[in-house]
Amino acid sequence: MLASIAWLKRYVDIDVTPEELAEKLTRVGLEVESVIHQGQGISGVVTGKVTAIEKNPKSDHLWVCQMDYGSGEIVQIQTGAQNVKQGDIVPVATLGAELPNGMKLKKIKMADVYSYGMLCSAAELGIDNKLLLPEQREGILILSPDTPIGKDIKEVLGLNDTVLDIDLTANKQDCFCMTGIAREAAAVLGKTLRMPDTSVKEAAGGDVHDMLSVAIEIPELCSRFTGRALKNIKIMPSPDWMQNELRACSVRPINNVVDVTNYVMMELGQPMHAYDYDTLTGHALIVRRGKVGEHLQTLDDQDRELTPDMITIADTEKAVGLGGVMGGLITEVTDKTTTVILEAAAFNGPSIRRTSKALGLRSEASMRFERGVDIANCHRALNRAAHLLEEMGACETVCGIADAYPVPYKPAVITVTPETINTRIGVAIPKEEMVDILNRLQFAVKEENGSLVITAPTWRQDVTCDADISEEIARMHSYDKIESHNPELALRQGKEDPMEEVKGEAEDYLASAGLDEVMTYTFIHPSFVDKMMLKADDARRSVIKLMNPISDEFGVMRTTMLPSLLNTAAYNLARQAESVKIFEVGRVYLPKSLPLTDHPEERRMIGAVMSGRRNALNWTSGKDSVDFYDMKGVVEGLLEKMQLADYELAACEETYMHPGKSCVVKAGGKQIGYFGCLHPTVAASFDVPEETYVLELELAPLAESALRVPQYTHLAKFPGTSRDIAVVVPKNVTMQELESVLRANAGELLQGIRVFDVYTGKQVAEGCKSVAFNLTFQAEDRTLTDGEIDPIIKNVVEKVAEAYAAELRK
Amino acid sequence: MSMKEMLLELREKALADLEAAASSQELQELKVKYLGRKGPMTEILRGMGKVPAEERPKIGEIVNQVKQTLEQCLKDRTEILRAEALKAKIANDKVDITLPGRKPAGGHLHPITLTNREIKKIFMHMGFDVIEGPEIDNDYFNFEALNLPKDHPARDMQDTFYITDNFLLRTQTSGVQARTMQSKEPNTPIRMISPGAVYRNDYDATHSPMFHQVEGLVVDKNISLADLKGTLETFCKEMFGNDVKIRLRPSYFPFTEPSCEVDISCVICGGKGCNVCKHSGWLEILGAGEVHPNVLEMSGYDSSKMNGYAFGMGVERIAMLKYGIDDLRLFFENDLRFIRQFR
Repeated sequence: MLASIAWLKRYVDIDVTPEELAEKLTRVGLEVESVIHQGQGISGVVTGKVTAIEKNPKSDHLWVCQMDYGSGEIVQIQTGAQNVKQGDIVPVATLGAELPNGMKLKKIKMADVYSYGMLCSAAELGIDNKLLLPEQREGILILSPDTPIGKDIKEVLGLNDTVLDIDLTANKQDCFCMTGIAREAAAVLGKTLRMPDTSVKEAAGGDVHDMLSVAIEIPELCSRFTGRALKNIKIMPSPDWMQNELRACSVRPINNVVDVTNYVMMELGQPMHAYDYDTLTGHALIVRRGKVGEHLQTLDDQDRELTPDMITIADTEKAVGLGGVMGGLITEVTDKTTTVILEAAAFNGPSIRRTSKALGLRSEASMRFERGVDIANCHRALNRAAHLLEEMGACETVCGIADAYPVPYKPAVITVTPETINTRIGVAIPKEEMVDILNRLQFAVKEENGSLVITAPTWRQDVTCDADISEEIARMHSYDKIESHNPELALRQGKEDPMEEVKGEAEDYLASAGLDEVMTYTFIHPSFVDKMMLKADDARRSVIKLMNPISDEFGVMRTTMLPSLLNTAAYNLARQAESVKIFEVGRVYLPKSLPLTDHPEERRMIGAVMSGRRNALNWTSGKDSVDFYDMKGVVEGLLEKMQLADYELAACEETYMHPGKSCVVKAGGKQIGYFGCLHPTVAASFDVPEETYVLELELAPLAESALRVPQYTHLAKFPGTSRDIAVVVPKNVTMQELESVLRANAGELLQGIRVFDVYTGKQVAEGCKSVAFNLTFQAEDRTLTDGEIDPIIKNVVEKVAEAYAAELRK
Repeated sequence: MSMKEMLLELREKALADLEAAASSQELQELKVKYLGRKGPMTEILRGMGKVPAEERPKIGEIVNQVKQTLEQCLKDRTEILRAEALKAKIANDKVDITLPGRKPAGGHLHPITLTNREIKKIFMHMGFDVIEGPEIDNDYFNFEALNLPKDHPARDMQDTFYITDNFLLRTQTSGVQARTMQSKEPNTPIRMISPGAVYRNDYDATHSPMFHQVEGLVVDKNISLADLKGTLETFCKEMFGNDVKIRLRPSYFPFTEPSCEVDISCVICGGKGCNVCKHSGWLEILGAGEVHPNVLEMSGYDSSKMNGYAFGMGVERIAMLKYGIDDLRLFFENDLRFIRQFR
């Protein structure tokens, strides 16, 4: 909301700078976002009259003007604009003048003729084109003929004004107008508020009730509807001061009737509408619901289909307007109009909000109705508008106001003790100060049995309970005067959701394992299901779609962590990252059914991607790329950290994984995740290298074991012993198979099996591999001897040989 | 030559040889040569028979002295030669200390995680529980239970992503307020924060459609705006340092009354005025207020007995101030050159 200081000064004496006023208003809850000094950069521009004008004979477009701008001499200025006539009064930038675009005026010669200055267009004075009439947008700005000459243009056009840009919160509907802001300013500055003159001459006599009937058929959507009749209307431009103030607040002047309705809306916060009386059939205005199939041509020349949800203003025959949103074209006030009906009403906010949203018609008027208008303001607004038009000599007002007001508004009455207020704020404000604050804000206060009985003014419909009164008192007393205090609560340490604790542990582990944490958007492009080649019946194809996404890119909620992480990997690889090792512990969103009728499962997942070089380039390590065992190591380390010992790995059948280089992780017989190499086709779809390794693991199954406190087992008292053996077995024998043979045959003394070499090559037969193990043995009660161990080793080797036709490598 | 003279001559010769020895091996050989059983000492002692009996003890003493002197010298020389050899070896044993080390490859946590953890830590120390809520929520918890009925103009404050007419991506963590109250027996005291991702349909240089908030709620008896100010002052000092000042400005949120915005003195310029604080000396960092009685009542709490305060802060905003980050988009672009700056 823009508030012109010049305009505010009509209602309150402001004896501080605009910046000081802005700060004071901000500190009571009217946040001033910026202070705009209009006309900045303009100097030396004055009004001047064209005393003579002739074409420059050497040019096809230049005009040589003789200008009188009150300097005592006639000055020759050339202009290229084609709209200047003898006698026009225009803005003249004199020699040495400065314009907002940084231009400084010098004597120049154009087509052999000297020019000692420049005639200005509105744009050259920094005035926004949108705020001008179409005819003012081109060429030199022609001022009204009664403008005195030699005056500073800033004064004439109101460009010496300062404007406050206020970010109005949704509850401050009372400040959605100049008098509202002035009321706050008066309360803050300790000044008196002067309300505008609303006296009406009613020179046309008669009685409005003989001309017009008004009726409300839907009191639930319209609580008041009032009208005034104005005769002998003369449509003309409104006076300069009104145009200037409207422009300062970003309202485009149009003609006196439209300008006055806008002016009064800006001044009092009451939106108004004007009808051409002679177009109203039956001379009636009725507030009713739209009828099914009913149409209305609105002022913007659009055909609108009405619905019963829309507040419709009608005469006895047809719809003539959408109440509070936009009027109809047929009843618009035109040059031919002689009698005008002015409307001021109070419509239901939510209804106006729905209609204006449905039709895409948000306007200054609809926004005010949405927040709620002061129902007691209707008469004041009608009278003020009539007063202003009378003052311009633009109408004669008919006696009386037609008023449909089924249920008079009862302002809120709140009874509260000063103690309650002080307790809520945490201060000790004396009762007298509370009463003074409330009075300054025009609340009526009575004291009864130690309580304050407070009647809110009609414009404060937001005030309904004692918490609201507390806020009024706190903000005017000043939040700065509230002393910090610590709540008197029992000492205790806060607790965290265990799942979050586990999440933190997983994050810490993965970071310590060399992975960088990323944070990705949870909504992604719906194409991921195809890029991952998910089967037609894969549950992850059931994605939750947004109704109004920013774009397809962010269209659906992810059902797997992979796409976001792969996109991040691709992003970084494209930026020359030689190694990408990333993880995120986030959520995937799994609907129970679609469309959504219940909360979906928000499953917490650990996701990771590794691609590129294993180690940062360093003289001690090679340039190898990551492989399956890098990712497996991370998984093993993570599960160890989570104290999940009882898990198994099995073949992975996910369509997007490389079948020979991936596996699933099972715990308690249930799949809890998978990891391995991406399928080459999928890798290509996501623009990542073929050798890209991924991991996705549910967090919840890890939670139980993760938070267990590890229990100590005592250390062996006697030294153990270890032996290395190597066996040659067919290539397809897995480590797991070999290990189970070893365990089955090595007896109870075997403690650990570690593989330290896997070799295929010249020294072993084709189709075979040599696997070297280190076996450790340990007894609880004695030191082991070779005599005990040697037969075990012999037995184990024999059994492996039997099982796989293997041999002990020499 | 007397026996004594022979012994003394032997001593001088042996000492000279030991002194001249250049290696421990040579010393070993000299030891055998002079002190061995077949050495000159043995030879000389064979002539003892010719020495008068009364002189024998004296000669015996000289023999012992010579022996001791030679043994001591041998020991000293061995030690010196060992030290010299070690010194020579070390002198040739050198690494290039300027070559890079084998650094264990540690990863990095995202600055939002780091900031979130710090916020959580501060509040948990003050006795706040940490409670998570769903990101996909319904209209009731995200709006209505927060005193934001349908078609309320304040709904414009937040551009909502809708999934159905009822389900939406939460626009604020405030929904956890009502959830928490409704999960408890009416009028149970509450002290909690709720961190998490929130969503708004706004995407430009200074807005991200997903970002993070931390909601706070205290409900108890006689919890005042002054208590709110005290709590937030403690938080801000922990987060930004003891010199930081806070101020409250009246504002509006449908679910608090009175409501306020909370500013801290600019952490960049210390309040003198700079570009970051737009020369005001203050930075807006969170919104707060006394819980609106309607919110308490809707969740089954008796607003005449219980009251409380609530606050909500943007984690990205705090992280930007904390780490001097000047572009919101960096958080979600996930350029590793950015992530790797945090630890």
